Amino acid sequence: MSEEMWINMGPQHPMTHGLWNLRVRVDGETMTAAEPIVGYLHRGWEKMVENRTYPQIIPLADRLCYGSSFTWSHLYCLAAERVFNIEVPERAQYIRTACIEMQRISSHLMWLAAVGTDLGSYTILLYGMRERELFLDLMVELCGARMTYNYVRIGGVRNDTPPDFERNVTRVLDTFEPRIRDLEALCDECETFRMRTIDIGKINAADAMNLGLTGPSMRASGIDLDLRRHDPYEIYDELDFDVCTHTDGDCYARYRVRMDEMRESVKIIRQCLEKMPKGPTRVKVPRCPPKGTAVARVEDPRGESLMYMVSDGTDKPYRLKVRSPNYVNLSASPAMLLGNKISDVPAIMGVLDMCIGETDR
Amino acid sequence: MRIEDMRYTKADHLRATGYIFKSMKVTFKNLVRATVNRPCTILYPWEKLVYPDNYRGRPGIVLDKCIACARCVKICPNQCIEMVPIETPELGKVKRPQINVARCMMCGYCAEECPTNAMMVTPEFELAAYNRADMMFDPIKLQHPHKPGYEVNYSFALISEMKGGAAKTYAKNDPEMHDTIVLDGVKCISCQRCAKTCPTGSIEMAETGELNPKTKKPIKWPKFDNAKCVVCEQCVEVCPKDALSIKEVL
Repeated sequence: MSEEMWINMGPQHPMTHGLWNLRVRVDGETMTAAEPIVGYLHRGWEKMVENRTYPQIIPLADRLCYGSSFTWSHLYCLAAERVFNIEVPERAQYIRTACIEMQRISSHLMWLAAVGTDLGSYTILLYGMRERELFLDLMVELCGARMTYNYVRIGGVRNDTPPDFERNVTRVLDTFEPRIRDLEALCDECETFRMRTIDIGKINAADAMNLGLTGPSMRASGIDLDLRRHDPYEIYDELDFDVCTHTDGDCYARYRVRMDEMRESVKIIRQCLEKMPKGPTRVKVPRCPPKGTAVARVEDPRGESLMYMVSDGTDKPYRLKVRSPNYVNLSASPAMLLGNKISDVPAIMGVLDMCIGETDR
Repeated sequence: MRIEDMRYTKADHLRATGYIFKSMKVTFKNLVRATVNRPCTILYPWEKLVYPDNYRGRPGIVLDKCIACARCVKICPNQCIEMVPIETPELGKVKRPQINVARCMMCGYCAEECPTNAMMVTPEFELAAYNRADMMFDPIKLQHPHKPGYEVNYSFALISEMKGGAAKTYAKNDPEMHDTIVLDGVKCISCQRCAKTCPTGSIEMAETGELNPKTKKPIKWPKFDNAKCVVCEQCVEVCPKDALSIKEVL
């Protein structure tokens, strides 16, 4: 009686956060094969930027992923600074680090809201979005936009912080820190949430490594790898923070890693504000870099993202390669999906934190 | 709280507090807070969030301040700005930027590049229109009341000075510290196009003291007034013999 059937989940499906297609073969309700198909949102980003000058690419890099746009524009500037061979002023580095961590928190909160809706809990969406608003307001005050900031510049940041920025950030962090407990009370203590995540989508450390998983999804399998500590950029080597890992490798562990990371981010932002020196925030950069190549990689909220830049000495990059963490994480998803029930797909894929803008580029 | 303390065990949901009481506590806490104090949401069309002046909505312009240097046209990543001729009683016949707001991505680069801060970011974000023609903001429609907070200003330092240890910063378009135009005199044919195209009038054709051997008239070369120059590069682009180039201050 067991006749297997292919099911298309997507391109338009509540489970897909964006435009992509997951084809699953089901035997009854158990998945026996899975095949993610991406490319519905391909915009030719890598080709497009070859026709833009170096500063013009920064707002475009923001739009790779609206959820964590700061990390992408920062990654682009980091790669460009290595091509230009420029040292960034110290104050700019501290501002950047604080902003990256704020972006990490707001990205994780949006992820939590999305996971909440995927698992049928609208409450978590509302709580997550409310907390996220605190950080968006801070960013509006800093650079004038809620999501696509266009704040990092090659050689620093656009402008200095507004006068009472430090006080506002401290106030927001003081509000936010106890509220993580509230979010956890809504998820961790909820039997439905636990039943739908614990022991679902398991992946062991060896598979996670071989499939190239990075970021929180990899750390949930017990692999202690965080580029903030293992390949420090900006001023992460001067800060004191823990890398959050869990050993279970299931959806619940991935959820826990992200919740713990938010706490660590709060810690990092506080340290940045404490140590922030005075000084210039931006240096003037030449229009054309010398010939050469550069690689920069950072720890995105979703994993390891990388940019490889080739410059031919003109004011436009010759080639800009983007390694998106989600593209690799998505390719690894069949390993997590197989053997689970089809009703677990939203939980597994939701917890991966899909972002199609950077996956398809 | 340390991470080790936060680690969960499989029997967490059997604790005395139970899985329902904690969640209900959070819910009721927030219910009381939202009822006694103000709610977390706003009724959008009637209420609006208060945003600071530097909020990046559509670009706006002060026509009197604009000098038609077209730096905004060059920096725009979407190429949605175009210089169009307009005629007003105060200004006469001039060129001013027109923005296709439908294509604009509100990055604020035009305001950041503007040497006179004529272009600025405005908090206007409700831009929906019934047709595409309405999204084409000509210079007259693009005008917006000025407020100091709408201007995008920044300060920068120079790499050469940073290495020396001095942390002096310069304001945007500091006349003392910007790129300069240099002339390769051998190539110059004294056509005066640079002087005619300069929006600030900082180029003056000065006699070099030599005489043209054929016509016996004095040879004139452009002379640049750095304090007035805004480095719009129009002279560099218009030069038919590529005699002008930019010398960057780094």
